[in-house]
Amino acid sequence: MTPPHRRLPPQSGESIDRNAPVSFRWNGKRLSAVRGDTIASALTANGVRVVSRSMKYHRPRGYLTADYWDPNGMVQVGDEPNVRSGHRLVADGMDVSAQNVWPSLEHDVKAANGLVGRFLTAGFYYKTFMRPRRLWPMFERVLATFAPGGTVDLDTPHRYHDKRYAHPDVVVAGGGPAGMAAALAAAEAGAQVMLVEHETALGGHLRWGDAADHSRVNELADALAAAGVEVLCDATVTGRYDDNWIAINQRSHPLATERLIKARAKVLVVAAGLIERPYVFAGNDKPGVMTAGAVRRLVNGYRVAPGERAVVLSANAHGDVAAADLDAAGIEVAAVIDARNGANLVAAHGSATTVEAAELADGTRVDADLVVTAVGWTAPTSLLNMAGDRPVYDPVAARFFPDAPPDNVLVCGGLAGDGSLDELVDHAAATGRLAAERAAAVAHRIQARTARAAAVDGEEPAWPADDRGPLGRDEHPALFRSTTHGMVDFSEDVGSKDLVAAAAEGYDSVELLKRFTTATMGPAQGKLETVNTVAVLAEARGETIAEVGTTVWRPPFAPISLGALAGRVFEPVRVSSIQPWHEANGAVPIVAGQWIRPEHYGDPAAEVTNTRANVGIIDVTPLGKLDLRGPDVGALLNQLYINKWSKLAVGAVRYGVMCTEDGVVFDDGVTGRIADDHYVMTTTSSGAGAVWEWAENWLQTGGHDWNVHVTPVTTAYTSINVAGPRSRELMGRLTDVDLASDAFGYMQVRTGTVAGVADCFMWRIGFTGELSFEIHVPSGHGLHVWNALLDAGADLGIAPFGLEAQRIMRLEKGHFIVGQDTDGLTRVPTTGLSGLVKLDKDDFVGKPEMAWAMESGAAPDPVLVAIQPVDPAEVPAEASQIVVDGTNEILGRITSSRLSPTLGRSICLGHVASSHAAAGTELTVVVPDGRRVRARVMEHHAHFDPEGERLRG
Amino acid sequence: MAERTSGAPLAFESPVVTAPPEPTKAALRLADASAVTKLVVRSDQPQFDVGFGASVEVDDALVCGSRPGEWLILGSAAACAAAAEQVDRSGFTSIIDLTHGRALFRITGDDAPRALEKVCSLDWSDTMTPDGAVTSASVARVSCDVLRHDVAEAAHGTGVGPDRGEPAARRRSYLIACDRSFGQYLFDALADAADEFR
Repeated sequence: MTPPHRRLPPQSGESIDRNAPVSFRWNGKRLSAVRGDTIASALTANGVRVVSRSMKYHRPRGYLTADYWDPNGMVQVGDEPNVRSGHRLVADGMDVSAQNVWPSLEHDVKAANGLVGRFLTAGFYYKTFMRPRRLWPMFERVLATFAPGGTVDLDTPHRYHDKRYAHPDVVVAGGGPAGMAAALAAAEAGAQVMLVEHETALGGHLRWGDAADHSRVNELADALAAAGVEVLCDATVTGRYDDNWIAINQRSHPLATERLIKARAKVLVVAAGLIERPYVFAGNDKPGVMTAGAVRRLVNGYRVAPGERAVVLSANAHGDVAAADLDAAGIEVAAVIDARNGANLVAAHGSATTVEAAELADGTRVDADLVVTAVGWTAPTSLLNMAGDRPVYDPVAARFFPDAPPDNVLVCGGLAGDGSLDELVDHAAATGRLAAERAAAVAHRIQARTARAAAVDGEEPAWPADDRGPLGRDEHPALFRSTTHGMVDFSEDVGSKDLVAAAAEGYDSVELLKRFTTATMGPAQGKLETVNTVAVLAEARGETIAEVGTTVWRPPFAPISLGALAGRVFEPVRVSSIQPWHEANGAVPIVAGQWIRPEHYGDPAAEVTNTRANVGIIDVTPLGKLDLRGPDVGALLNQLYINKWSKLAVGAVRYGVMCTEDGVVFDDGVTGRIADDHYVMTTTSSGAGAVWEWAENWLQTGGHDWNVHVTPVTTAYTSINVAGPRSRELMGRLTDVDLASDAFGYMQVRTGTVAGVADCFMWRIGFTGELSFEIHVPSGHGLHVWNALLDAGADLGIAPFGLEAQRIMRLEKGHFIVGQDTDGLTRVPTTGLSGLVKLDKDDFVGKPEMAWAMESGAAPDPVLVAIQPVDPAEVPAEASQIVVDGTNEILGRITSSRLSPTLGRSICLGHVASSHAAAGTELTVVVPDGRRVRARVMEHHAHFDPEGERLRG
Repeated sequence: MAERTSGAPLAFESPVVTAPPEPTKAALRLADASAVTKLVVRSDQPQFDVGFGASVEVDDALVCGSRPGEWLILGSAAACAAAAEQVDRSGFTSIIDLTHGRALFRITGDDAPRALEKVCSLDWSDTMTPDGAVTSASVARVSCDVLRHDVAEAAHGTGVGPDRGEPAARRRSYLIACDRSFGQYLFDALADAADEFR
């Protein structure tokens, strides 16, 4: 490993720590650098000039801007593709390689594309691969091999991505001198400020300046810290949305790979600075052609020499300073071409891998391995676009300026105008003060309107007027393309010739041109290309840039990873109080909505058999439960359910079905009357939330004068169904409630103590078809009661059963499940429960539809029926189609099916057309493997104990 | 409160079965307070002279205006019962004990707002959420009632009444109540959010 031979001598204010050596690999070769180097500066220090291949033609590329936006600097770092080497700091042990090259960066086979480049013009894909359409899959496979980008390792461990909300008074986007001054002034005016800087350190262009510049940055940084400004470096304001909802991608968090901050700023200050535009001329993508900013960054910041002999095209002071910096660093400046005097650069000559000479407009050729351009700026107005502003082009200054951003978005720095550093800082400070004043006005308004907030002092202040003096605008030559053609979009390999050709083909609107050529659509997202694209199009159309206009910049400001967008994954799960026991005793879990429930404990068929023979217990806590109180509960129940509730006696339980306004079955369950004005309603597990909202909806509309309080108590009670012929004997050992059948009959509710726990209620119902007691105990003692049941029932053959056993038993009994055996079109008559519908009630939800359906005299269609396959071993999969024999005409479908351990045969519920719903009708069921099996419609829904003798026992 | 009708009272089984993380520095403390008694009062009459969004201590109970026409009373069983006695029942009023239906957590420390920022979108500044403020919010995608109730660092038990400590010794503290079934999930989510600050 040789030391970096392009490293320049130390200089005050440099961004590197020479005392902290770093070792890294580049395409397998070990290189050295120091802490503070970017990958770009580290490679340049080691003499690496070619760092990538272009997307389409695979032309060798070197650094153009040597920062985040460098279109040529995308590399693979370990298992991370598309890393921006001009931005990412090099780290010890880092494995860096070129991406999308084969077999190597130096000898890339796909560079053959360049030989046929004249045929690969814009629109080549669209035109070439449209026909024949049948070959598109093959084209797609081949083209996929040319896709740019690095390699994604699917085995890469998930990284920790964080998310955070924030409510700063002021967010300042941009940590250059203007942004720092604005943030400081806002903080000193009393605002809570968040300063977001895209680069890894504050300072903007002053970082590459002289000692005075560095001193200015340090002073501002110290003042920011003292003022309590929250500074986020290596973070990007990626988007501005309605009401100043600001998305910030923080890459510098110590624990998280990335953190997405969702900030609700009262005022946004945009101090994004200016981005230097490349120049379009022949050979402008050869390694060794750079912007002046790249040179200053490398030479002054990282102290590396990007070349030995330079030619500088300068149209502004920035270019002049770059030439001086090169000279001061000992790099020969062979020529400075002053564009302000009409001089121009027309070509860079050399091999494919390096520039060797610059050709001037007068035909002069100057040998150089470094061609530097300083031709003007792109105003990164993205955040202003997102705020609804439409920036305006100023031909005198040769760049865009803000037009009329909303009142809560302020602009300062180079984006707002030109001036000396002091003038820009003063303007920015005034901007910060204005931001603080406006933020205070917004805060007053929000605080006054928020119930929980502290009381506000006084009236809302008047909206602070903008009395800032405007910044000036410097005259600047309009330099976009030379007299030759060159590359415009380095990311997408789109040249000025492509743009001219596209315009000639009719794609002469900037929005069409963008999409047809893909110019501005690469990783730089137009930051380097947009203005040049517009300028080339304007030239082709013979119009001005203002007349052509620009594309609209939308979020994100800079590309953001999917991991950052996803952030921390919140997936709430619900468990009952008995969950620890389930986990400790081998329960196989099933996800039911948000609930984690035991599906079974190893053998669901055995669980059924035991419950039918002895006693079983199941945790049914997810069953929705609503506490209903008030004198008008009966009226509410009459409105929600299709049956009557006015005469439900205290101590009684009744089954009910709810419908929506169109008569479709919505939910079902039982409701018991605990006391005169106190009821408890159960709903399906999945319908608990919806039924609560449904009840509240009706209380606030049709029943707004009813006195009813509805409170969800689903998990206030742990619910346990104790089922089986020995359930009464078991319960008798644990409760003070009289369980005799004449004292506590079927469809009755009682309150009492269970296993020493007071305030329990229980009812006798029979979803499983067995004698059963559904007990509801305060959840803080649910596990205690569960264990007590197991202990007390040990000699009775007690065993827990899971959801699967319950489903089998309810199917044996023929009980339908809303959502399983009904769908979005199922009305009550289909379910066979027409007898519940009481059309003589004044009103209930769905009554008009129900009345129409029932009074028309038409048979319900389809009909829910019990079905048994002729072959008892055949279990048709749920959703298997029922068809007319010998055809594919659909008559219905199987909605539920299981093999019944009790009956030793397959059993089903299903929907069939009324024409085939009569008991004894033979049906044809098409199972998933295509076979057609015979099945028969049964007389009752219940396959087992149709008379209900067991559950009423 | 349900309890054994004879013999020793039954222990309250919390929805949180994992141990709370040990604070490694005093910046943040997460505690499971699910055993605190929780009564929900709903009424068409004003109660306790406290409205939606605010809270007030009534003797040793804490009464929170949790929604328009709804109050949540927190404290010991005895303190809550005493507060319930003071409920104005002249209108349509109901009181339900939801002690067993809600998990309750307390997060205390100067960094508590920064931890909450990771799981909840609300503004936790002193002006928007001052001591005593009550609100509803999505916390790690779970619907919760959140109350700012600053307590002394040494506070224990309910943190209400004498437990709360002297005002000068109080630090930022938030009570977060959610449906019991989400308790373990939310506790884990809060612990994860707090991990950065412990």
